[in-house]
Amino acid sequence: MLLDVKGISKSFGGVKAIQNFSLTAEKGDIIGIIGPNGAGKTSAFNVISGVYTADEGTILLDGKNITKMEQYQITREGISRTFQNIRLFKGLTVLQNVMCAFDPLSKYSILGGLLPTPKRISEERKGRKMCEHYLEVVGLLPYKDERPENMAYGLQRRLEIARAIACEPKVLLLDEPAAGLNPTEVKDLTELIERLSKDFGFAILLIEHRLELVMGVSQKIYVLNFGKTIAVGTPDEVRENPEVIKAYLGEEEKKC
Amino acid sequence: MEFISSVITFTLISIISVIGVYILTGLTGMFSLGQASFMAIGAYVSGALVVKTGMPFWMAVIIAIIISVMIGFIVGFPTVRLRRDYISLVTLGFGEAITSLLNQTQSITGGALGFSGIPKRTTLLLALISAIVCIIFASYFKTSKYGRQCIAVKSDELAAKAMGINISRIKMTAFLISVAVTSYSGALYAFYTTYVDPSIFGWKKSAEWAIMVFFGGVNSLTGSIFGTVILTALPEVLRFAAAYRVVFYSILVLLIINFKPSGLFGEYELPVGKIIKLFKGGRKEEKGNAA
Repeated sequence: MLLDVKGISKSFGGVKAIQNFSLTAEKGDIIGIIGPNGAGKTSAFNVISGVYTADEGTILLDGKNITKMEQYQITREGISRTFQNIRLFKGLTVLQNVMCAFDPLSKYSILGGLLPTPKRISEERKGRKMCEHYLEVVGLLPYKDERPENMAYGLQRRLEIARAIACEPKVLLLDEPAAGLNPTEVKDLTELIERLSKDFGFAILLIEHRLELVMGVSQKIYVLNFGKTIAVGTPDEVRENPEVIKAYLGEEEKKC
Repeated sequence: MEFISSVITFTLISIISVIGVYILTGLTGMFSLGQASFMAIGAYVSGALVVKTGMPFWMAVIIAIIISVMIGFIVGFPTVRLRRDYISLVTLGFGEAITSLLNQTQSITGGALGFSGIPKRTTLLLALISAIVCIIFASYFKTSKYGRQCIAVKSDELAAKAMGINISRIKMTAFLISVAVTSYSGALYAFYTTYVDPSIFGWKKSAEWAIMVFFGGVNSLTGSIFGTVILTALPEVLRFAAAYRVVFYSILVLLIINFKPSGLFGEYELPVGKIIKLFKGGRKEEKGNAA
């Protein structure tokens, strides 16, 4: 089992953002997480990626307990993510944004931080080459010296993905990657997600409101409502599930 | 001539202090209102070591920097874990504590009367070389993995953590480098004026440096240096206007902040690499022509 989330819960004051959520993922899986607004999808991501620590439950990655680790350590263990509202680094170019994912692992000392030592030059070259490769994967290489804030919204989303895969994750969490994209861009994104899953072999967890995207790529779908998991299954099973229909469309009023 | 040389030396020393502030505030987005106290530690420790123990100048300077960095670590350790704004509060308190400590320990520091009798070791040349070396260090730092991580932390802490960046550690690194640079400028200052007193190292000095960084361009090392040169030299140039020079100074700063909030230079950096290449290229062409 690559990722094993067992019964995690998180409350904020009296609000139970996520209750007893469990999920398992294997290498190469694409798993969709859907649900109405406020269902606790992003809270689940925040707990798994370490932004918040779970009140209850455990998270195992490759058998290692990462529940109580700090966020940056969890990233280094192999869980990386993108954000619902784009969070790129202003003041850095596209390439430098991706380099930030490589930098914590770059092996030169503070002396190399102040002077161009041979170690620094070789490490920087290695990092740049890797990051250019990741930019090429998402199709952003021609933009590498641009400022991200000057790029189109769809490209900024791609840059977030490039940055996340540059962390060399075992599990990639994508939080509404299609939000704000037009139909053509959604189609490109669907292709990109399928290609990433095939080429890199990591597990992908996908929060998405665009059902055509999530139903198209996922092998398994979790449906949340008010912090609780109401259904798990293949896209077809979930589509037919009465609980899910109720959550999305509301209950049919009983005729008197 | 003596006057001009002293203005230039003081400007160069200010540049070194401001480079420390640039790394802290410009790159990492942390405000230290007690930065000047590290200049004080650099000045007093190196001065006292030379005067009281007869230690050689360079050894005293190095020990002063090491002590500053150690104190910086103690101050920084609890603060870098907190939200960024708390750093200003903690450093403000620490800075004021240092000035009053210097005032109180009369037997060692001379108290409010100041500490005098420091030999004059800083020359214009030494200040110039030091400033150039610090500028080179800072510009390499900015383009290194450390610099990138600093900018990432400044721009978005949550996203920086999601990239695997240990933000407490990177903040500490930036803080300690800025402390080291600032305390070195303090040592140069003490050995230039031969006399230091606690009143010049208060929070106003730290705020002045922050103003210089913002005036020149908070995202630009070039801008920070130009900001320092302009704002240090301006009061000297405006000497004839006597009392009004503070008014001029304030109006200039207000105009810049109002009409160009990113500072005089914005994000512009002098393309040193290109200039060097241009010179080399030019020389090659000359050779070609000669042949």
